[in-house]
Amino acid sequence: MTQQPSPAQPPRLAAWLVDLFASREQAESILGDLSEEFSDLASRSGIANARRWYRLQSAKTIAHLAGAAFHATPPSLAVALFLGFLLSWFSGALPAQLIIALLRTQRPYSSRHYEAYVWLLAYGIPIVSITQSLLIGCVVALLARGREMVAAIALSLLRAAPLAWLLFIFFGRTPLARPVIPFLGPFLFSRALDLIGIVVGGVIVRKARSASASRLAAV
Amino acid sequence: MSAREYLGEFEHMVLLAVLRLGDQAYGVTVRREIEARTRREVSIGAIYATLDRLEAKTLVQSRVGDPTPERGGRSKRFFRVTAPGVSAVKHTHRALRSLTEGLALLGVSS
Repeated sequence: MTQQPSPAQPPRLAAWLVDLFASREQAESILGDLSEEFSDLASRSGIANARRWYRLQSAKTIAHLAGAAFHATPPSLAVALFLGFLLSWFSGALPAQLIIALLRTQRPYSSRHYEAYVWLLAYGIPIVSITQSLLIGCVVALLARGREMVAAIALSLLRAAPLAWLLFIFFGRTPLARPVIPFLGPFLFSRALDLIGIVVGGVIVRKARSASASRLAAV
Repeated sequence: MSAREYLGEFEHMVLLAVLRLGDQAYGVTVRREIEARTRREVSIGAIYATLDRLEAKTLVQSRVGDPTPERGGRSKRFFRVTAPGVSAVKHTHRALRSLTEGLALLGVSS
């Protein structure tokens, strides 16, 4: 008895990303259409071509969905972005304050204490800062119902813009400042992690909402 | 009809494709119809973004079909043009015809 070959599957990551950016109703029909065209293309011109087509179509689809969400500019999206920006602006110093307050309550009496003290000093602020960004991403995504990813990415870009602009002005116009770049590395890395944290917060809320809607639909 | 209700170029194409396809108008067929007739490459995302906008303007209506295996168990979303949609197509055509009238340069006979 010969085993039937399993049908070709579309690229999972691309499908996952489309699902993130589309509303639940959109995701059902868009992913279905993409799968139908993928199967058709795979049988006509091979799986490699079909996969390439699927990835390109997914990227274009995500761009259109994000663009449409901005174009519609529902009040919830604007409010979510405004509140998210305020929240991240005013709580910016909170991680450092928290860790310093915690360190003040501790005294490195023994060598074990000392190691923990140094570890907290070195990694405490970045960890709390990423957690804070994750929570801000969650809040923004909760407020921007149906447009979670667009809101989280927009807030991330809003927060990155002033820093990118300053770096461009500073390093673009003063070539002598270029040797300073390596020293900015850790700072830029921690900023990048913060921005990723906001987007991950959006992903968490989007996926949780999607799962809860699917459960409700199944009942 | 107000100026706001005139169709954009791509909205116009999508509405005409949905009208041509009748009962079989869903994302894949609309995309293929536009590509075959205009030789313009369009993405599924562009089709859905436009159809959603047209639905919000009540120019099209959608209904969900049954899930099929070749679509990974997902259902199709069929579209049909509403009466205001047909009216918007007619208005836009009239406006375009009026603008192209007498332009022999384009080889338009109206």
